Amino acid sequence: MLDAVLLFRDALYGALVIALACSALGVWVVLRRIVFVGAALAELSSAGIALALWLAGIGIAPSVTSHPVAVSLLVTLAGALFFGLSGARSRVPADANIGVVYAVAAALGILLIAKARSGEAHDIFLQGNILGITRGDTLVLLAVTVPVLLVHLAFYKEFLFVSFDRETARTLGYRVTRWNLALYFTLGLVIASAMQFAGVMLVFNFLVLPAVTGLLLSRSMGGMFAWAIASGLAAAVMGFSLSVPFDLPSGPAIIAVSGAFVLLAWAWRARGR
Amino acid sequence: MSALISFDGVTLGYGHRAILSGLTFDIPDGDFLGLVGPNGAGKTTILRAILGTLEPMAGTVTRATGLRFGYVPQRDQVDYQFPLTVEDVVLMGRYDRVGLGRRPGAEDRERARAALAHVGIADLAGRALSALSGGQKQRALIARALVGEPNLLVLDEPTNGMDLVSTTQILGLVRELHERDGLTVLMVSHALNEVANYVERIALVLEGAFRIGDVDEIMTERTLSAMYGIPVEVDSFAGHRIVLARRAPAEVRNDA
Repeated sequence: MLDAVLLFRDALYGALVIALACSALGVWVVLRRIVFVGAALAELSSAGIALALWLAGIGIAPSVTSHPVAVSLLVTLAGALFFGLSGARSRVPADANIGVVYAVAAALGILLIAKARSGEAHDIFLQGNILGITRGDTLVLLAVTVPVLLVHLAFYKEFLFVSFDRETARTLGYRVTRWNLALYFTLGLVIASAMQFAGVMLVFNFLVLPAVTGLLLSRSMGGMFAWAIASGLAAAVMGFSLSVPFDLPSGPAIIAVSGAFVLLAWAWRARGR
Repeated sequence: MSALISFDGVTLGYGHRAILSGLTFDIPDGDFLGLVGPNGAGKTTILRAILGTLEPMAGTVTRATGLRFGYVPQRDQVDYQFPLTVEDVVLMGRYDRVGLGRRPGAEDRERARAALAHVGIADLAGRALSALSGGQKQRALIARALVGEPNLLVLDEPTNGMDLVSTTQILGLVRELHERDGLTVLMVSHALNEVANYVERIALVLEGAFRIGDVDEIMTERTLSAMYGIPVEVDSFAGHRIVLARRAPAEVRNDA
C-alpha cells in the first residue's frame, strides 16, 4: 500500500497543499455563511476552463485561450469581485445572486465543453484529476497559496472583525468593502488554482467540511483553524492512501473521509452536551 | 459646551429618495441624548449619518476633531456562531488602536479585562459569547465600546427584546456611565417610555418629522400629540413619566 502511495507522492503533496489552503479559508466561508459562494466560484472557475477550450477550438485569441488556467483565474476573480461588491441593499437577495451564478456557470461549463474541439480529456480537466498532479503543479499551487495564507495570517484580526461585526468595524474606520473584496479575491485565487487539479466537488469539500469539523470540535478561533486544517490534511492523506491501493477515485475517497470526520466531530459534540 | 456632532440643514436618504430633511441640531460634549421613534421612522438613517457611514444628500454633518465613537450595535447584528470568548470580542474595540496587521498585546488584554470589570462581568471574560444571556451579551458589547476609550458612546436599541429586569439594569448601567464617567451618550430606541426616564434630552423622529429638546420640553401632551398625530397623555408615577395613547371614545350606537 505504501509503495502505491509513494508512486503518487507528488500528487499527494499537491492534494495536501490544496487541503491546507482551502481548509484554512474555509473557516471564513463557513462562519460567514457563504458556503455556496465557494461552490459558485468553483463552478465559475470550471466554466472559465471550458470557455478557454471552446474559444481555442474556434481559433479566437489563441495567445490567451491556449492558457485555460489563466482564463479560469480571470473568470473566477471577476466572480469574486461581483460577490465582494454585492451590497446588502441590493434588490436581489445575496443567496439568490449566488444561485444565479452557480446555475449559469455550471450550465455554461457543460455547454461550452460540449462544443469545444480540443482533443483533451475535458471531463477530467473539469472534474479534476488529483492523481495527475506533478511536482511542477505543486510548486505552482504553492506559489499561489503560500502568499494567500501569509496575507490571511498577517491580517487575521481585520478579516475577523469585518466578518463578525461589519457595522462596528466600519465605525472604527475599517474599509469593510475593501476587506471583503480582499477576502473574496484570495478565495478566488485559491479556488481557481485548486480547481484545475481537484475539480468542483473536491474543492467544495475542502472549503466546507474541514471547517465544519473545526467548528464542532473547538470553542476558539485558533482551535477552529487548527482542527479545520488538521482534519483537511488528514482527510487528504487517508482518502488518498485508501484510494490508490483499492483503485477508488481519489476525490470521492477524500470527501468520504472528510464526511466521516464531520460525523465523528458531531458525535463528540453531542456526547459533551 | 463644545459640540461633538453638528447637523446643519441636513437631508438624508438613500439613492435619490430623501427620508428626512432640514435636520439642524448639535450633540454637545456631556450630552445624554435619546434618539427615539418607531421602527422605520429614520432613526438608523440619522445614526448612520452621525457615525459617518452615510453621506448626507444635502447640508453638512461636522464631527469634532479627535471624536471617537464607542458603538454598541443591536445584539442580533453580531454573529454568535463565531467561536469567540467574551474577552476576544471586547478586544475588538482596541483593534484600530493596535494597528493594521498587528496583534493585541498584554496591555490591550489588561484594558479589556478592566472594561469587563467596569460593566460588572469580569468573571465572564473566558466564557463563550454565545453562552451569555441577553443582558450579559449587551454588557459585553458595551465593554467593547468602552475599551476603545470613546468620547461618544452610541447604543443602538440596547434593550430590544430584553425582559424588564435586564432592561432596567442595562439602562441603569448606561446612566451610570454618563453620570460617573461623564461620558457623552447617544441611545437609539423605539421605546419612548423606557428612554424618557433615563436620558436628559430626546430627539423624536416620526414619519419624516424631527423634534429635539430637553425631556421636559418633549414629554408634554401637546408636543407628543402633535408629533404622533393622536391624543396622547403623559402621566407621572413615582417620579417616572409614562406616555399613553388616549383611549378613543366608544362609538354611540343610535338604533332608534
